[in-house]
Amino acid sequence: MSRSKLLIINGPGLSDLSVENEIAYDGLSLSSIEQKCIETSERFDLDVDFRQNDNVSELLSALIIDINKFDAFIINPAGSSKSSSIDYEAFSKALNKITNQSKPVVEVRIENIFKQDDTKPLNASDSGVGLISGLGDQGYILAIESINQKIVSNR
Amino acid sequence: MNIYVINGPNINLLGTREPEIYGRDTLESIATTCIEKASKAGHKVDFMQSNYEGEIVEWIQDAIIQKVDVIIINAAAYTHTSIAIHDALKSYSGYKVELHISNPHLRETFRHISFISSAVNAVVAGLGPDGYGHVIDLLPDLPIKVN
Repeated sequence: MSRSKLLIINGPGLSDLSVENEIAYDGLSLSSIEQKCIETSERFDLDVDFRQNDNVSELLSALIIDINKFDAFIINPAGSSKSSSIDYEAFSKALNKITNQSKPVVEVRIENIFKQDDTKPLNASDSGVGLISGLGDQGYILAIESINQKIVSNR
Repeated sequence: MNIYVINGPNINLLGTREPEIYGRDTLESIATTCIEKASKAGHKVDFMQSNYEGEIVEWIQDAIIQKVDVIIINAAAYTHTSIAIHDALKSYSGYKVELHISNPHLRETFRHISFISSAVNAVVAGLGPDGYGHVIDLLPDLPIKVN
């Protein structure tokens, strides 16, 4: 059986998780998150493509093109006032395209966005889209475990 | 670790209530999974469900008194109405996760407001009935102060 393919995309602000950034997290770096995601995916025999782009329209147009190439998706839209804010409509379109193909997708937020006034979760037409908010880098690990379980039980 | 898994109204109907949204697993099977996973990792789970708001508030107060390390709460419909549960959770200083089987933010507008989300460390939604077990599995890797 060929390995399932997981695409993880990270939006603006996540390239720099240092304290100088508005999005600062204790001891976290994007490369340490990527490393953990690769290790966890390997444990489940998943191929993973881990991406980050400060340019949301580039990130999303690449995602739309690649939806057919991947079996599951993790999306951290991030966003900070330093870069562009979240384009909810564009993310919704991408999410709906994924769920129309019945592929698992989870929105992961490192911090609990519900403790901030200006951030809300992504919108989509399918209530099966996962949401993990506030578990730090472990949110990605939880998302991969959940996705793996869904892939395995759909076989 | 001592863990309270607290479930709110109508979750006792799991498996029969709108299975296209909530899945076919029963609450009993979810409880068994949680308890087994926790005991393998050396943790203890108390798994509870109530259709009464005040009982849920009292369980959270009990968690404060008993110095329970983690609360995983699926307050179900009370999520969107209960300031009493919000206040009780605010008083609890252990690690707390709000959990939902489906993603309430992608359902009717009246489910988009949560009084729980701002009072907890983390929110996990839309991972289906397996979400409970996945969160229990993850607990050793979270920054939890164990009493």
